[in-house]
Amino acid sequence: MSSEPLLRVENLKTQFFTEEGTVRAVDGISFEVREGEIVGLVGESGAGKSVASMSIMGLVESPGEIVGGEITYKGETLFGLEEGPDGELRERDDMLSSEEIRTRIRGNEIAVIFQDPMESLNPVFTVGGQLREFIELNRGLPEDEARAEAIDMLREVGIPDPEERYDEYPHQFSGGMRQRVLIAMALACEPSLIIADEPTTALDVTVEGQILDLVDDLQEKYGTSFIWVTHDLGVVAEICDRVNVMYLGEIVEKAPVDDLFYDTKHPYTNALLNSIPRPDRTVTELEAIEGVMPEAISPPSGCRFHPRCPDAREVCKRAHPDAKVVADADGEPHEAACVKHDAFDAGYDQSPPLEGTAVDTGSAAVEESESELTANPAGDDSGGETRE
Amino acid sequence: MDEDSGYDSDDALLELDGVTKYFGQESGLLAGLEFEPNQFPPVNINRETVKAVDDVSLEIQPGETLGLVGESGCGKSTLGRTILRLLEPTDGDIYFKGENLADLGGEELRRMRSDMQMIFQDPQSSLDPRMKVGQIIEEPMRAHDMLDDEGRRARAKELLEKVGLDPRHYNRHPHAFSGGQRQRINLARALSVDPDFVVCDEPVSALDVSIQAQVLNTMESLQEEFGLTYLFIAHDLSVIRHISDRVAVMYLGHIVELAEKEELFENPQHPYTRALLDSIPVPDPRENGVRGILEGEVPSPVDPPSGCRFRTRCPRLIAPDAYDWSDEKWAQTRAFMRAVKRRSFEPMPAARIEAEFFDGDRPGGEAGSIVDEAIDLIASDGGGGDGDDESDRWAAATDLLLESFAEQSVCAHERPAYDLESEHGDGDHFAACHLHR
Repeated sequence: MSSEPLLRVENLKTQFFTEEGTVRAVDGISFEVREGEIVGLVGESGAGKSVASMSIMGLVESPGEIVGGEITYKGETLFGLEEGPDGELRERDDMLSSEEIRTRIRGNEIAVIFQDPMESLNPVFTVGGQLREFIELNRGLPEDEARAEAIDMLREVGIPDPEERYDEYPHQFSGGMRQRVLIAMALACEPSLIIADEPTTALDVTVEGQILDLVDDLQEKYGTSFIWVTHDLGVVAEICDRVNVMYLGEIVEKAPVDDLFYDTKHPYTNALLNSIPRPDRTVTELEAIEGVMPEAISPPSGCRFHPRCPDAREVCKRAHPDAKVVADADGEPHEAACVKHDAFDAGYDQSPPLEGTAVDTGSAAVEESESELTANPAGDDSGGETRE
Repeated sequence: MDEDSGYDSDDALLELDGVTKYFGQESGLLAGLEFEPNQFPPVNINRETVKAVDDVSLEIQPGETLGLVGESGCGKSTLGRTILRLLEPTDGDIYFKGENLADLGGEELRRMRSDMQMIFQDPQSSLDPRMKVGQIIEEPMRAHDMLDDEGRRARAKELLEKVGLDPRHYNRHPHAFSGGQRQRINLARALSVDPDFVVCDEPVSALDVSIQAQVLNTMESLQEEFGLTYLFIAHDLSVIRHISDRVAVMYLGHIVELAEKEELFENPQHPYTRALLDSIPVPDPRENGVRGILEGEVPSPVDPPSGCRFRTRCPRLIAPDAYDWSDEKWAQTRAFMRAVKRRSFEPMPAARIEAEFFDGDRPGGEAGSIVDEAIDLIASDGGGGDGDDESDRWAAATDLLLESFAEQSVCAHERPAYDLESEHGDGDHFAACHLHR
């Protein structure tokens, strides 16, 4: 493992300029991905995890814009700003042009796998044709070689009878098979980094298991790094090496996977873990997190989680914590953005508890719904993870 | 509501007896018409049916939650809708409070519906965006002529409070609510007519995890307060484990296992249930379970496998009695058979196939000679019909292996159904697997 990480994201800010105001979808997140590891980006819908991953690829579309921060990949700057002579921020000279990003980085160096494989494949072209075209364009192979390569890739990801299925259309493939095709496409140019945005959310559990197995095998074989975007803590526990937990545009906790589950440092992560029903044991009482995630358009003051936090105190309303190292996990830093840890020295211990927290769920839900309705007229906590 | 039916509350609230639902695959005048040049007249009417739910029998006791779990396409939602007679069952009887729903006519059925309600998966599309929340909740009461205007209004407000919303939101439209809140409105609407039985079709799967827990908790407290009986349909085994009293597992239109929750999760007896349980990612990084044990995909419900429907993917398919097997040889042959069927390996010399699948030691006797024949057909140095198309030879090898082995297994002949002793609790344990014969 080299000292310089494969990908470094520093203080990334992506905002959407809408008529209602500026949505700070990603608000100053920093993380890194090293070679050969799977880094999780976890959070509920609206936490900004997808926007963060799309920012890395330069795929944020208007009205969205990356307004700050720096993204470095293998020593090259994918995005960076500097202050110009007139005091305005402008893009740095060493930043790759969008042309270079398109031809050299996307597909060849960093590939993406999206949640819905049907939307990522063109329904009017054959599966094999699409894969072949991708290989032709990105690797500059002649058509027949690209075809042979495409068939090899399909076999590699476990598509039975790849020569026959090469000429079939996406609708003739099942959901799991389509996702395998996308993985084949992502792997075709042997990228160093794959961003997987909820790749198994739309799949059945047994198929999800197959895909996770496949990713494990392929990662071992090619040494590819992954950024795994998901809301499913089960999947995180299965495959991730290190995890970043996001809440409302910020990373609130960052730790190796074992420490995240066994030495949880942020109340949000803790609440999330306590609120999920378990497949491996019977939980009689679920500890639900009160309320819903506020809109990123007008985030709460201080710590953004404080209105829902069971540990919130007066100081949490005022002090906005940036993630700090709060523990050491076998040489790895364990970061959390919560002032209750000594590292912050914000006077948490002396601060009085907030009024109205830690009351029983029933009445709190009613109170909560009122305040949240005014602040969040079209709020929606249902994600894209609808599945049959 | 209607206590005149002579229904005794000790009996099952709902009883399904051989409920079956087939769908005609296409509709229209010329649908299913096929051209057959070899016969007269040269057309063939081929009405394919999708066997979505096939001969399902179960009982639901008053006050319990029966979890119904399965993968997409297994027929769980169809079963839920058939129970409410939103879909007409093709065959079988549904007894609700001792009355056969299939015998009920329009008006009686309509009245019966006030006792049976449903909550759908998508909280967005199941609420009319142009109606106010109050109207939405009052509408079922109006349809069933319950209370007067004032009474309905009071009840709607009371219900809003019961499901954890603010009664002052009576006049808001659904768009002003978040997904979790909309699902609460759905709950309030379903409860407005004071039902005994609610079919919940994936009620929390569109919600975020933290919101899921809130809604599940509300559903549980409402069940206690109103004495509700739930049929809870979901694909998520964790949610099922949390909320159910008993659990039924469905695969391709059949119930494959049904037992009390603790028994089913701790002592699963059907290979499919085991595979499902092993596949769920456990939110615990120190748990290093196996996963992805199931190969291949669910067969089409148009033409489901005979006998046990899971047999084509079952890791424990029973060896046919006709041959003399050791367990090891049978396992190898089974793996070889499925690999040939899926064409998941490249043509290679016979010796390599033998090494790869049989450790260089083929099964002996009659079974061995069939395996030899199949290897000969597909091996790159095999003698199996030169000139023949390669895919024809693979198909021939597949047919040979399936007919000689898979179709001979007891799993292919009889539909399994066994009642077992429970290890946890004292309930019945039904498992549809011949391993228990």
